[in-house]
Amino acid sequence: MPDYDAIVVGAGNAGSAAAITMANKGLNVLLVDRSDPPGTKNLSGGVLWGNDLAKILPKWQSEAPLERFIQNKKIGFLTEKSSVVIDFKTKIFEENKVGYTVLRSKFDPWLAKKAKEAGATVIPGITVESLAKKDGKIVGVEESGDTITSNVVILAEGINPRLSIEAGLRAPLQDWEVSVGVKEIIKLSPQKIEDRFNLTSSSGTASEYIMGNLEELNIGAFLYTNKDSISLGIVAPMERLRENGVTHTYDIIEQFKEHPSIAPLIDGGTVAEYGAHMIPEGGLAMVPKLYGDGYLIVGDAAGFGFSNGLVLQGMNYAFLSGILAGEAAAEAKGRGDFSSSSLSVYKQKLENSYVLKDLKTFKDIRKVTNNTNMYTTYPKMLESILLEMLWERGQPKKKIRDILSSCAADLNMSKLKTATDFYYIYRRM
Amino acid sequence: MLKIGVMIKQVPDSQDISIDPVTKTLNRSMARNVVNPPDLNATEAALELKDKHGGEITVITMGPPMADSALLELMGRGADNGILVTDRVFAGADTWPTAFTLASVADYLGGFDVIFCGEETTDSSTGHVGPGIAEFLGYEQATYVHRVEYEDDHFVVTRDIEGAEETIMIGKPAVITITLNANVPRNPTLKRKIAAYRKGIRVITNKELQLDPACVGLKGSPTIVKDMKTVPDPVKNPSKPGTEELDKVVSVLIEKGIVR
Repeated sequence: MPDYDAIVVGAGNAGSAAAITMANKGLNVLLVDRSDPPGTKNLSGGVLWGNDLAKILPKWQSEAPLERFIQNKKIGFLTEKSSVVIDFKTKIFEENKVGYTVLRSKFDPWLAKKAKEAGATVIPGITVESLAKKDGKIVGVEESGDTITSNVVILAEGINPRLSIEAGLRAPLQDWEVSVGVKEIIKLSPQKIEDRFNLTSSSGTASEYIMGNLEELNIGAFLYTNKDSISLGIVAPMERLRENGVTHTYDIIEQFKEHPSIAPLIDGGTVAEYGAHMIPEGGLAMVPKLYGDGYLIVGDAAGFGFSNGLVLQGMNYAFLSGILAGEAAAEAKGRGDFSSSSLSVYKQKLENSYVLKDLKTFKDIRKVTNNTNMYTTYPKMLESILLEMLWERGQPKKKIRDILSSCAADLNMSKLKTATDFYYIYRRM
Repeated sequence: MLKIGVMIKQVPDSQDISIDPVTKTLNRSMARNVVNPPDLNATEAALELKDKHGGEITVITMGPPMADSALLELMGRGADNGILVTDRVFAGADTWPTAFTLASVADYLGGFDVIFCGEETTDSSTGHVGPGIAEFLGYEQATYVHRVEYEDDHFVVTRDIEGAEETIMIGKPAVITITLNANVPRNPTLKRKIAAYRKGIRVITNKELQLDPACVGLKGSPTIVKDMKTVPDPVKNPSKPGTEELDKVVSVLIEKGIVR
């Protein structure tokens, strides 16, 4: 008789959601996390989209430590001196509360507490050393020479899945599968935040940028408003960083902070926290086998993240994959069968959900998000077009078609290359 | 079998605290709570004593309900029992009522053969509470100890004194305060932590202790804080020596024949 029905490794969004789901269904659950309080070492950019958590915590929006609801989302291109930004602001966001800024060091301990309240045993401050294997099955976890056994282990160990890799459940991470996110939390009074971003005391803004002034590093950047701080950071593809070899992420984040369109927004703020984290970017191609004899893989550990340049998501995939894994484990317990075939219901559930559907729909998106022209030529082209159209320099005006072709020529872009790029973006996005 | 007590405190992580220059109070909002670092050494001293001579270790703290995580952490390292002494009337205590309350708890539990404490806490650095407990209980005491041996019903302890160390013998029962880094605290293990969380801690309130409310908490505290001043961090703001001071230093060095 194993010690637990299920052991969940990692109290992030996926792990805690799985633990809550299983505890609610009467399973005997152990949730282990390396930090104390549980979840305090977790980090992400900072916007939680969607309402998946309502499946297990119907009142989460009023109970969880949330910062601000998203009232507008900005998507922009930055060049050295300019910014071109689409600012989508809608009452529909406010009425439906589609997203919130969160600070994970507050949010995740709250979620782990919910797992405890649901009946799971939550053990903080312990790093599991390895998975226990017997006859090719995963039968528990090992730590300090002890083995704690369970029918199923749910691996929610995050983007750097050491246990899964060491147990041979997935290959070591490759550069193309991840980006490096570097983030600062900048303290600023609520009054200043609300004035600068045109917000109320509870509304917030989410901005994401392509940094068109850093050549071929393909850098994305973000800025989100919390209650009394701003979450700000950059996202750098590991492959590009390695290729480049000389540019440091801490220099890139400084360049973002010093950009003429960003600097005034954070003026007078003080850096309260600094963090870095990997982000899954490999899409469907990095997703490992998600289940096997005695185990399930969820959240970042499974590579469940999504970005197409317009939408950046991961926490909602973590919740939903955790919930579905919890349901699969509970059903397996009902059958008294924790074999690979019994647990495969988890993958079916994922395939019927938006998690694997999104990853399948956008399986070629890296060709867009990784297209260097998106980070070099097109931001400059946009800037040139707008300058040409909006700046009265005492010159005869041109038609947009002529502006476009002269800009493309200035930037050494052939018409054909531009046309095919846009065709591919259109196809894949 | 030795009956061993360990008195501990949960403190804000000193890396994360700052002093608000306006209100002059400690800004703890960014700090996570940890076990007072020398208390980890005190607990390890208790565990080493138990390993060699057997015994039962009870870890006790006075504090708010959230201090339970500190007790569970130490039970995860091998302590047998955890006791949280918590009550509104105990709040705001300075070192006098803290020592009095903890001594009263030890007495209420039937006393101990030995009580270990950390040498001082990182959030107030008085070093009063250990000796205070010893005095209230009438136990023998040794402070600033980094080595403990137990033989023939007495303790041989080695303590830090200025510029030297001394080894002394003290009888039972005793209070021994342990210095920071006196030993290497063992880590908690998953198995022990599971057992600790299953067992849980015992909570003792003043309903059970029945101490005179005038002798505990803020009411029982003789300390009055008149003023607080912040001083610049000497490491971050070194005063630059002038050439005069340098000349003096050089002349002293020449005088002593250290440099020529």
